[in-house]
Amino acid sequence: MKPAALGPDKSLKGRPKSTPWFKEIWKHRMTYTLLIPGLIWLILFAYLPMGGLSLAFKHYRANDGIWGSPWVGFENFKYVFRDPTFAQAVWRTLYVNIIKLVITFPFPILLALMLNELRMGRTKKWFQTVFTFPQFLSWIIVSGIVINVLSYDGLLNSTLSMIGLPTINFLGSEKMFLPMLILTDIWKSTGWGAIIFLAAISGIDQDQYESAQIDGASRMQQIFKVTLPNILPTVTVMFILNVGGLMSAGFDQIFNLANAATQNVSQVLDVYIYRITFQSSTDFSFSTAVSLFRSLVNMVLLLAADRIAKMMGGDGLFR
Amino acid sequence: MKTKRKMLKPLLAVALSAVMLTVTACSKESASGGNEKDADGNYKDKLKISVAQTTEVKDGVLDNEFHKFWMDKFNIEWDYNYIQWDSWAEKLRLWVNSGDLPDVASWNYVHGDFMNYVDQGLLYKFPDDWKERWPNIAAAYKLTGLGDKLEELTGGTYILPKPVYYQNKPADPLVNQIGVIALRKDWAKAVGFELKDEYTTSELMKYAELIKEKDPGKLGSKLVPISYNADDALTNIIMANSEHSRVESAFYKGEDGKFHWGPADPETLTGLKLMQKAYKEGLLNPEFYTWKNNEGSDNFRVKGVAGITSLGGLASYRQDMDKNMKKNLGVNSDDLVHTAIVVGDDGKYRNLEQPNFWSSLIFSPNISKEKFERIMDLIDYSTSQEGQLLLNMGFEGKDWKYDENKELVSLLPEGTSLEDKYPARFEGLYVLGDDFSTINPAIKKEYRETAIKHFQEKAKLGTEGGKLATYDWDVQLYDSKAKSQASFEYQNEYANLILQSGDLEANWKKWVQSKQSLVQPALDELNSKFGK
Repeated sequence: MKPAALGPDKSLKGRPKSTPWFKEIWKHRMTYTLLIPGLIWLILFAYLPMGGLSLAFKHYRANDGIWGSPWVGFENFKYVFRDPTFAQAVWRTLYVNIIKLVITFPFPILLALMLNELRMGRTKKWFQTVFTFPQFLSWIIVSGIVINVLSYDGLLNSTLSMIGLPTINFLGSEKMFLPMLILTDIWKSTGWGAIIFLAAISGIDQDQYESAQIDGASRMQQIFKVTLPNILPTVTVMFILNVGGLMSAGFDQIFNLANAATQNVSQVLDVYIYRITFQSSTDFSFSTAVSLFRSLVNMVLLLAADRIAKMMGGDGLFR
Repeated sequence: MKTKRKMLKPLLAVALSAVMLTVTACSKESASGGNEKDADGNYKDKLKISVAQTTEVKDGVLDNEFHKFWMDKFNIEWDYNYIQWDSWAEKLRLWVNSGDLPDVASWNYVHGDFMNYVDQGLLYKFPDDWKERWPNIAAAYKLTGLGDKLEELTGGTYILPKPVYYQNKPADPLVNQIGVIALRKDWAKAVGFELKDEYTTSELMKYAELIKEKDPGKLGSKLVPISYNADDALTNIIMANSEHSRVESAFYKGEDGKFHWGPADPETLTGLKLMQKAYKEGLLNPEFYTWKNNEGSDNFRVKGVAGITSLGGLASYRQDMDKNMKKNLGVNSDDLVHTAIVVGDDGKYRNLEQPNFWSSLIFSPNISKEKFERIMDLIDYSTSQEGQLLLNMGFEGKDWKYDENKELVSLLPEGTSLEDKYPARFEGLYVLGDDFSTINPAIKKEYRETAIKHFQEKAKLGTEGGKLATYDWDVQLYDSKAKSQASFEYQNEYANLILQSGDLEANWKKWVQSKQSLVQPALDELNSKFGK
C-alpha cells in the first residue's frame, strides 16, 4: 500500500506545470534588477562588438563602415593560412600558455591555503597586500624592472661579476625567455589570483573544521580533507576559464619583454595580430580573420575542458 | 484648446529651424569665416585650425613672438595635436580610419594605405587649380617626384609629399643621408689608426679591435667599441655590403629583367658574417639588439664610452653631437670626432638612391574650403625664401642679417640656438629642415661643408663603380596583399640570425627558405606586372 502522505503518483499524470519564467522573474524582481547593469555592460561591450567579426569575411573600407563594406567570403583566411608565421604563432601561443597554465595555476591556490592558515589577522592582511600589489603594476613597468635587473650591466649580472662569476645573457637567450615569462607572471598575478580562492575558502562551513578537529585531524589533514574538496568547484571553474583563454593572453607581458634575439620564441598570436595590424599596411579584415580564428579555438578549448571536467565527475561551467 | 495648438505649431517650427541652423553653423564641415582680407591685406576672420605634428609644443610656447607672428599674419588660432614618434603611424592610421583626422597632419606616407584612403574618400582632394594658386608649394612639390606619380594613379592631388631638398640640394644623384659614422679621432691617433674619409666595414672593425685591446680612453669594461643598435648595424655593416638588404630596396629588378629578393643575395650573407664577427669579438655591445632610439649614439655623445657610432649625413646631426658632447662631457667635439662614410669590404660604395621626399602632409576630407585655403596660404608663405629664412633663422635684423658679402650671419648670442629662443617651430609644415641646413649659419660652417662633401662623395662613389639601390617607382607604387605580407623588420631578423647558435650560413639559408611562402607570391606578382 502506498503511504497516503506521498499523495498521488504524479509521474502517471505528467510533470507538474512549472511556473512561467516571467512570473519567476517578477517574483524575484529585486534580485533581477541588480542584474541589469551587468547585462547592459555585457550587451554593449561583449555582444554588440561581435558584429564587427563580420569584417573577417569582408574587405573593410572605413568609409563604408563595418556593415557597408563588401563581402569577400573566405579570402582573408586564405592569406592567413598561407603565412607560415601564423601557424608558428598558433603553436607558440599554445606551447607558451599551456606551460604557463600548468606551472602558474597552482600558485594562487597554494598562496590562498597558506594565507588561510595564518591566524593573526593583521599579518594575514599585510601579506595579502604585499602579494596583491604587483598586480597593479603595468607590464611596461614590470618589464622595465626586469630588464634593469637582468640586463648585461644590470643588478644580477653586476652581483655575479662582483663575486667572480661569469655574467649571463638573460635577455638575449631564447632558453631563458619562457622561464622569465613564468616567473614574472607568478610574481605579478599570484596574489590577485589567490583572492578568488580565499573567498571560496571563507565560504566553507566552519562546522566541518570543528568536526575534523574533534576527530583529531591535523592541520594538513584539514587542508586536504576539508579545504581542498570544498574549493574544488571553484578550482575547476577557474581552470576551465584559463583553458578557454589559452589562445590569447599575455600580449603586454610578451611584447614588452621580447627583443630581436627572442623573436622566434615570443611570436605569439597576439603579437602577430599586432604586427599585421599596425606594422605593415593596414588591413583590419585580415586582423579580424586571425582574431576570429583565435576566438573559435578558444571556444573549442573551453567547451572541451568543460566536458572533460564533467566526465571526470566535477562541475563544469554549464549545468 | 485648438487655438493653442495652432499657435504652438509655428512656434515649434521656428524653434526647430533655429536649432537646425545653430547645429549647421557649428558643424565641423562649415567654416566660421571666409578668407576675405581688409584694406591692409590682413585676413578679416579668425579661423581655428587643428594641426597634428611630431614637434612637441609645451605649455606657453605658443605665446612667444615667433608663433604669434604666424598666428597674427594668417589670423589663425591653432588647435595643436602633438604626436609622439613611437605612436605616429598608429595614431594617424586610427584618425584617418575613424574620420577624426585634424584639418592638416603630418603623415609618414605608406603607399598601400594612401591608395586605400584615396579609394575610400578619407583624404581631401585638392582643387584642380591649386598649383596656380600656390606656386611656391607647387614648385617644391614638383621636386619630390612622388606627387606627379601619385596624381597619375589617383587622378588628382590628395597629398603633399614633403621635399627633403628644395633650393639647396647638396649632390646629384641624391643619396640617402644614412651610412655616415662618427669615430673618436683622439683614440684613433692613440692606437695609430689612420683617419680617412671612407672606411670599409672591416677597417672599422680593425679600429674597434685596436681600441678594445689598447683601451686609450681607460674605460675598461664600460668601453663599447662599436655602439650600433640593430638599425645601425643593418645600415653600417649589412647595407654597406648588400644594397638590397633593407626594406626600402628588398624587392628589386636585376640585370636579367626579373625581380629578386635582396635578403637572399649572397652579399647579404657577407654582411651578416661581418656583423656576427663584430658581435662575437665583443665589438658590438652584448645587448645591442635591445637598444631603442638613441641608446647607441648616447654611448658616444652623452657617456663618452663608444669608439664608433652611427651619425647620419646631415650637418644638423653633427651640430647636435657637438652640443651634446659639450653639455654632457664638457668637451669640444671638434677635437674628438671624425666622420666618414662606410663602404663594403669589396671597396664598393652602397646605399639607397634617395627620392626627394620624406613623409607628407594630408588634409581632413571634412576640412572647409576656407580653412584649406588659409592653411595653404600659410604653407605657401613658409615655402617662400622669406618664409624659409624666418623659419630657420628667425627675424631679420633681430636674429640674423646679411653681411657685406650677402652671406647670412646669425645675431644670436654665442651658444644660443634658434630652438632655444623660439622652441617648437612647427609652422615649417612642408619643406624639411634638411634643405636649409646646408646653408644655415647657425650650424658651423665646417659641419655644413663636411656634410656636403660626404653627400658628393657618396654620389660620386655610388655612380662610379658603386652600387646604389635605385628607387624603383614601379615597385614602390605597387600595392597588393602579397607585397604587404612580404614586408619584414629586417633589422630584427638579421640580429636574430647572427645571435642564433650553429652555422650562420645554414641558418640564413633556412631563414630564406622559411620566408619563401610569403616572398615568392610577391615576386611572382612583380614579375608578371613589371618583369621581362
